[in-house]
Amino acid sequence: MKINLTLISTFAALALAGCGKAPETKTAEEPKTQPAFPAASPTSESKKLNVFCWSEYIPQAVIDQFSKETGIAVSVENYASNEEMLAKLLAGGGSYDVIQPSEYVVGALAKEGLLRPIDQAAVPNIKNIDPKFLSMSFDPGNKFSVPFMAGTVGIVINTETVTDDIKTFNDVFQEKYKGRIVVLDDAREIVTWGLLSMGIPVNDMSDANLDKVKPVLTKWLPLIKVYDSDSPKTALLNGDVDLGVVWGGEGAILLNENKKFKWVIPAEGTHLFIDSLAIPKTAKNPENAEAFMNFILRPDISKQISDAFPYLNPNLAARELLSPAQRSNIASFPSDDQLAKMQTFEDIGQQASKVDEVVTSLKVQ
Amino acid sequence: MAGLAAAPVAAEGSNAFRRRPGLAAWLVMAPLLAWLILFIVIPTVMLVVVSFTQRDALGRVVYDFTLENYVRAFDWVWLKVLLVSIWYALLTTVICMAVGYPAAYFIGRSPARWRGILLMLVMVPFWTSFLIRTYAWITILSTDGLLNGLLVASGLFAKPVPLLYTPFAIVLGLVYNFLPFMILPIYTSVERLDGAMIEAAYDLGARPMRAFAQVIIPLTQPGIAAGALMVFIPSICMFAITTLMGGGANPTIGEVIFKQFTAGRNQPFGAALGTLLLVIFVIALSATRRQREES
Repeated sequence: MKINLTLISTFAALALAGCGKAPETKTAEEPKTQPAFPAASPTSESKKLNVFCWSEYIPQAVIDQFSKETGIAVSVENYASNEEMLAKLLAGGGSYDVIQPSEYVVGALAKEGLLRPIDQAAVPNIKNIDPKFLSMSFDPGNKFSVPFMAGTVGIVINTETVTDDIKTFNDVFQEKYKGRIVVLDDAREIVTWGLLSMGIPVNDMSDANLDKVKPVLTKWLPLIKVYDSDSPKTALLNGDVDLGVVWGGEGAILLNENKKFKWVIPAEGTHLFIDSLAIPKTAKNPENAEAFMNFILRPDISKQISDAFPYLNPNLAARELLSPAQRSNIASFPSDDQLAKMQTFEDIGQQASKVDEVVTSLKVQ
Repeated sequence: MAGLAAAPVAAEGSNAFRRRPGLAAWLVMAPLLAWLILFIVIPTVMLVVVSFTQRDALGRVVYDFTLENYVRAFDWVWLKVLLVSIWYALLTTVICMAVGYPAAYFIGRSPARWRGILLMLVMVPFWTSFLIRTYAWITILSTDGLLNGLLVASGLFAKPVPLLYTPFAIVLGLVYNFLPFMILPIYTSVERLDGAMIEAAYDLGARPMRAFAQVIIPLTQPGIAAGALMVFIPSICMFAITTLMGGGANPTIGEVIFKQFTAGRNQPFGAALGTLLLVIFVIALSATRRQREES
């Protein structure tokens, strides 16, 4: 009996210690399924593609269809922020063929010579993209990147509990809404809203401007209840908060979910992001990567992505395939006037750490 | 945890093994040593080295010596975050102790055929990923959630009470996740407890309170110390639970370090904070160890 008990408690301890490690066991088993002699046929090497993309951004069905049509085996790895992707890419750990950086990271990577120029002839479907999203300042001539999805940041209001007319960031961050607000857990975004409310360009992250924006954020941050970048809609749906400053895609889902939610593009303007596909210089299968890019830009595929993740689709041919309801979702597709007032991010380099410090210090004030 | 609890025993018997270990002993030890070097020594050295370096605009580590990260780490902002984290961890440890000790004692003193089943019951929830269990708490605690629905329906409260995204939720999440780490080591001590000692205390006129304080507690002290450390240390650095259930408005040190390695693009500073945390752990460990040696 004694032995039995010792066994059980050992097992219990192992179960505890192992609870965070489940995925490792999985990877350990993987090699079994691979052919015993991968080098036997020369084509097996070129029939692979390593995609390093955001979590919850490319539906699995799209990946599967690509594999089925081309015979290329795709392995997908996910990240939750641009910086996480940068850190892994620069550490040289994996050999990624396709990455999915946002505009300011494309600019920074291209400047450092870390991206591989795209063979334009291999990606003819780029003709489907709205010219507004081509040849933007971070990548003139789309030498290194093709647009995947764009989006905005805006305000969501639960009209059952908030009856005021909310038009600006300052309208959201009012004393009476204390403990009823969810925002993105992203220091740069939060500082950007402060800058916008003061009419300062969003990429002007100088120390002087950070000092200027501090008093505004000192008033705003204690009012916030939840910081969540991954799924800010959850707190709104559960009734834990009544107002939010969230991604357009999240806003679009909320609008579809319940008519009580209202979407507002702040009058001061807001941040427009463009997530692109690019090929790192270290890619081993650049041709497959180009094939994948071209596949993603196909109207029927791009529509599938929009169905799952209703962001601002820059693919005009795909937009035509969307239902009128999808196209008229104002959280997905802002008006041209609104778009004209939006600003895109440029890389702010080492200042990122200071921006983070400003926000953290105000969270614990 | 078995290692921590077994340490004093090994120390007592160490005289018998004073010989220099032979080749066979080294061979047996090799996997363990390799594991220690690969996953503890090398990462720790890397952490300490990186904490003295700088970084470039993309966040790559530049190996130029600087003390700047440590100067910055002693800013009040980060110390406040650290103090808050220590506070949450202490609270978690105390609550786990208050709940875990009676539970462990009950299991350890129950008939032998029950013990296995009872221990199993403690462990069963932990066969599910802690993230899934944390999300389950979110649906229970949210304003439109199960618990608030029950409270309002029963007429106890007129309006839903804010439970989720509060310090209460953070500590609840930590206690829930780390309670078995307290129960298991205490259970091991209680199970070894010699009933004759307690009887002797009673025979000598001790009342239950005194027998508990002067006999049972000292005898189960190794389990208590191991349990306290195993709850306290991971509670300080835990960031997934505190972010998900606390809503991120009360950042903990684990969350802050995580952000330095990601959005802050400042690995050296994150490493400096991590090194400081390591120093605190070493001090806490050696303090409990000295205390144990003295007793």
